Amino acid sequence: MDESALRRRIHDLLAGGLATEVCPRADTPEAVQTLIQALRARGGDLEGRLVLAGFTLNPVLHAGVEQACETCMYYLVHRRWCELPELDVPVEPHWSCRLWRI
Amino acid sequence: MANLLWLQGGACSGNTMSFLNAEEPSACDLVTDFGINILWHPSLGMELGDNLQRLLRGCVSGEIPLDIFVFEGTVVRGPDGTGAWNRFAGRPMKDWVAELARAARYVVAIGDCATWGGIPATDPNPTDSTGLQFLKRQRGGFLGADFRSKAGLPVINIPGCPAHPDWVTQILVAVATGRGADIALDDLQRPKTFFTSFTQTGCTRNMHFAYKVSATEFGQRKGCLFYDLGCRGPMTHSPCNRILWNRQSSKTRAGMPCLGCTEPEFPFFDLAPGTVFKTQTVMGVPKDLPEGVDKTGYIKLTVAAKAAAPKWAEEDIFVV
Repeated sequence: MDESALRRRIHDLLAGGLATEVCPRADTPEAVQTLIQALRARGGDLEGRLVLAGFTLNPVLHAGVEQACETCMYYLVHRRWCELPELDVPVEPHWSCRLWRI
Repeated sequence: MANLLWLQGGACSGNTMSFLNAEEPSACDLVTDFGINILWHPSLGMELGDNLQRLLRGCVSGEIPLDIFVFEGTVVRGPDGTGAWNRFAGRPMKDWVAELARAARYVVAIGDCATWGGIPATDPNPTDSTGLQFLKRQRGGFLGADFRSKAGLPVINIPGCPAHPDWVTQILVAVATGRGADIALDDLQRPKTFFTSFTQTGCTRNMHFAYKVSATEFGQRKGCLFYDLGCRGPMTHSPCNRILWNRQSSKTRAGMPCLGCTEPEFPFFDLAPGTVFKTQTVMGVPKDLPEGVDKTGYIKLTVAAKAAAPKWAEEDIFVV
């Protein structure tokens, strides 16, 4: 599946009501590590990874900061891609997930 | 001719290894070109047993002028303040250090262990180790905060794990050739000429730092190592990317995050699992930001830089 099609599929999954674990956000290094390990265990299970990572179609405001993919350190602006190795999926700039970091 | 004595306390000899690899000037140049007489060094000295003790006693008494006393490794004070866990030439090394430091015109601490206590002094510090004039960032150490060598200077700290060989030899040459008074020291008694700029200064990944593109795995040639892989280049004072290692490279150029080994807090976070090679974050923001940058400024800068990033910044530009 090409990147655009995969991006569309993720969008449709989220728009279709896929219940993702938006909270708690990964606020501490320990929480990040736990989540990363869990993501690794999911392997190629796309839906499972989207759920665990807490993907949303809109930015999440947390601790006074709007957590959008476009400001996340793992986001590649031109490719519209999340480069976190455990996710490695196409995204949109206004999406969000609980592994957001700047 | 300047007499130099080099001793090792709680040390791994890493700084000796580094020193012996110096190139500009080399360890041999110190002797042949700059008039340094190496009285004794753990890897070079010929004297053993009674002869060595006689030499050391001569330095302490002033019979042998001691111009430069170099110390590598921690001062081991355990157990119970006796220093018996690090005996040398018939007595605790700490006793030699105390007497030789008083006798020397200049005292130079080489490497993290001698400067701040390094890894051995990391909590719980079982050997009660300390640096010569600091314990981590706390002033005092073994010799006390007020210590001054005969030349009127405090201990000259050349930290690093190990210290770069040329930092060592260049400072030794400056001292040996009568330019010791020209060495400006920072608050941590490090020569400013080496420790005012950052490890990041000169890093080949600076473009990726500027556009906030992260390296996410080891071996990637693109991306900055600060954002995800725990690199401490932006907040560590060292010239590692100005005075290159082996004249060729540096940790960050080779894809290895800077560990911040010239700072008193090294090793950071007491080496707790999950803290090495991983940028520590609190609510998504790095716990340690580039020096002088606050959280609000960092977020603003990142948002702007991400938005402005050119396409090439996301690609590997080091094409073979």
